[in-house]
Amino acid sequence: MINFEEELKKFHPSLEVEEAEDALYRKNLTDIADLVVELVKEVKDEHES
Amino acid sequence: MRCFNCGCNLTEHDFCTNCGIDVNNYKLVVSASNIYYNDGLERARVRDLTGAVISLRQCLKLNKNHVDARNLLGLIYFEMGEAVQALNEWVISKNLKMKKNVADDYLNLLQSNPGKLDALNATVKKYNQALTYCYQGSLDLAVIQLKKVLSMNSKYVQAHLLLSLLYLKGEEWAKAAKEAERVLKIDGNNLQALRYLREVERITGGSDFSSRDYLKNKFSENKGQNKAANKSQSKSTIISEESYQYQSGNETIIQPLNYSDKKKVHSIWNILLGITLGILVAWFLILPAKIQNEQLSVNDELRKVGEQLDVKSATINELESKLKTLEKEAANLHGQLENFIGSGGMMEDIEYLLKAVKQFMEAPDSIEEITSSLEKINPATIESQSLEAFNQVYYLLLGEVGSEMTVTFYNEGMKAYQNGDFETAIEELKKAVAYDPTNQDAYFNLGNAYRKMGRNEEALEVYEKIIELYPGTDLANRSQSYVNELAAE
Repeated sequence: MINFEEELKKFHPSLEVEEAEDALYRKNLTDIADLVVELVKEVKDEHES
Repeated sequence: MRCFNCGCNLTEHDFCTNCGIDVNNYKLVVSASNIYYNDGLERARVRDLTGAVISLRQCLKLNKNHVDARNLLGLIYFEMGEAVQALNEWVISKNLKMKKNVADDYLNLLQSNPGKLDALNATVKKYNQALTYCYQGSLDLAVIQLKKVLSMNSKYVQAHLLLSLLYLKGEEWAKAAKEAERVLKIDGNNLQALRYLREVERITGGSDFSSRDYLKNKFSENKGQNKAANKSQSKSTIISEESYQYQSGNETIIQPLNYSDKKKVHSIWNILLGITLGILVAWFLILPAKIQNEQLSVNDELRKVGEQLDVKSATINELESKLKTLEKEAANLHGQLENFIGSGGMMEDIEYLLKAVKQFMEAPDSIEEITSSLEKINPATIESQSLEAFNQVYYLLLGEVGSEMTVTFYNEGMKAYQNGDFETAIEELKKAVAYDPTNQDAYFNLGNAYRKMGRNEEALEVYEKIIELYPGTDLANRSQSYVNELAAE
C-alpha cells in the first residue's frame, strides 16, 4: 500500500530558470578522477620529500 | 585520453611518457566512466530514461569531463521535462569543450526561441505551485494545476507521476493507471510509475485497465530468457518476430518491433479520419452557411429587381394612360379635322360657297348652277355661325340670288303639288321658304302639302307660323280656318 505522505516526500520542486545560475555554482563537480589525481600527487610529494 | 598532469596524449603505458606521472589508476577510472556512459546510452536508446540518468550520473561522478555523457544527460533531462537541469548540463559541457560541441546547438536552439524557454519555465513554475498545493493539502487545486502543466508540456514526467499519485489518493484508479502509463511511454522503466501501476493492479485486481497487460508484459514469462539477458545489463535480444527484449536490472522489458509501423498506420488512419471529418464539417456546416448566404444575396437581388419592375410597371401604366388620353385627343382632333376637311366638312362647304360666288360673278344668271352649289353647303355650318365671314358671304350671295332661287324652288314645288307628289312638293317648298322666308305662298302651300300628306302637326306648325308672321292677311285667315279644322279633327 502506497503511503501518500511518504510518497509525496519523494517529489521535489523543479529548478526554475532564475535558479539555474545558483544551481550551477552550487554543483559539486569533484569526481573520482580528481581524487585519484590528488592522491597521486600526494604520494609523489611524499616521495620527493 | 590525456594526462591529467601535463595534458599530453597517454599511451598504453601506466605512466605518462611526457611527465612520467603514474596514470594507471586514472586510466581505470576513465575506463569505468566510459562503461557507465555506454550503459547510459544503451538505456536511452530503449527509452529507459531513469536507468540512463543513473548510469550517466555515475559516469560523471567518475569523470566530470565526459562531455558526451553530460550532453546526453541534458538531453534526457529535457525529454523528461526538466529543462533547467538540461541547461545546466549543457552549459557545463560547453565550458568543458568550447568547440565542436553538440551542447552548443542545443543552447542556441533554446536561445533563438525565447518564447519556448519562457513556456518551459512557466511549466516548471506551475508544477512547483502544484507541489506546494499538495503540501498544503489542496489536492483538487494541485490536480487542476498539474493538468495545466501537462497541457503545456505533455512529457513532464514528474508532473505525470504527481498527478498519478494524486489520483491514487483520490481512489481514481483508472486515471492513476493512465498517468503512470503515460510516464512509461516516455520513460519505459520508471520505477515510480511501475509501482503506481502495481498498486492499481493490486487494489482493483486488474479489472479493466490496460495496465494489466502492461504489467504482464513487464513481469511475466520469458524466465528462461532472463538468464541470457542477465549476463549483461545492456544486452538486448530479439525474442520473436514481433517483440524486442532487453534486461533492466531484475526486470525484462519487451518492446514490439513494429511499434513505429503501427504508429505510422495509426497516423495514416488519423489523417484520413481528419480529412473525412473536415469534409463532413464543410459539407454540413460550412456549405449550408454558404448556400444560405448565396440565397440571401439572390433574394436581395430579386427584391431589387422586383422593386425596379414595380417602378417600370408604374411608369408603363402612366405612359399607357397618357397614350390613351393622347389617342382620345388625336381622335377628337381627327374628328375635328374630318369635320373641317372631310366630306361635308367646313372646307367643303367653303369650297361650295366660293364656287357659288365664282359662278355668280362669272354668270349671275346661271341660277341653277349657283343653287346647285349652295344646296351642297351643310346647313349645320351655317347654323353654327363659327365662320363669321362665311356666313356674311353666304347671306350676301343669298340676298343677290335668293329671290330667284326661291321662285325656282316654288315653281318646282307647286308643279309636284299639282301632280299630287306631295313628298317632292314639301322638299321643294321647304327650300323655297328657306331661301326666302318672306315667300307667303310657299309657306301656305307647304302647310297644305303637309295637310294633304296627313302630317297634321307639321301642317299646324306651318299654319301657325303664317298667322304669326302675316296676321290679318288672306293667307292668315285661311290658315286659321285650316287650323280650326285640324283642331276639330
